[in-house]
Amino acid sequence: MIGNDVVDIAASRIESNWKRKGFLEKIFTTQEQELIKRASNPELYVWILWSMKEAAYKVYNRETGIRAVIPHELACKVDVVSQQAYKGTVTCRGGEYCTTTTVTNGVIHTIAVCNFLKGKKVTEVSGDVFKDANGWPYIYRSGLKIPVSKSNHGKSTKVVAFQ
Amino acid sequence: MNRPQLIEKLKVIVTPYANNAQAVEALEEDTDFIKDLNINSANLVDIVLDIEEQFNIIIDNADMERMLTVRASLDIIETKLATK
Repeated sequence: MIGNDVVDIAASRIESNWKRKGFLEKIFTTQEQELIKRASNPELYVWILWSMKEAAYKVYNRETGIRAVIPHELACKVDVVSQQAYKGTVTCRGGEYCTTTTVTNGVIHTIAVCNFLKGKKVTEVSGDVFKDANGWPYIYRSGLKIPVSKSNHGKSTKVVAFQ
Repeated sequence: MNRPQLIEKLKVIVTPYANNAQAVEALEEDTDFIKDLNINSANLVDIVLDIEEQFNIIIDNADMERMLTVRASLDIIETKLATK
């Protein structure tokens, strides 16, 4: 399964105040709060970790059918940071999800896949996105129903699928 | 405080985070913050914090987990207020 999440930093500045009392504590584990505190750009790190959680949650939700507000239980680890991407792992209730986060022109985009699909190629796709009875999105590609993940925030919308 | 009064208070709390004033006006126990009011999940955290401040209660992670609907929020607020 696949999940993605977009954070438009300009929109986040209008909609959210991450410095608000209690905000970080409600969302992040103590280890994650440490990472944010030590980051050279804490604001960027807040939203990178947030988008990792959101993308991984979408995979978790699609796998289990469970809906819940559980930011704390989606524990993030950033494994590799390069100029291209932040590669990480999010664990949740026994499940493990691999994440790739890019930051381009003020837009953070994380793609999460379940661990056993790690390495499988993911691409951005276009076309009309439909929703099935569970609310999960899909597109049609050469007549075939392909599961996708769609995320929209501020000025940015991304739809991704396995290649 | 009874349920209709609590619902009125909740409407005031969610208004700044919802872009659909009509949907907020129609808010009732079955309303889902994300599906019906289109509230983004980061703002759901703000709603939890606002509820804590407004009612002077503490919502722990186990409670927050269920806070997707008005009904679940009302249940939690009532339980917390009863034990104050």
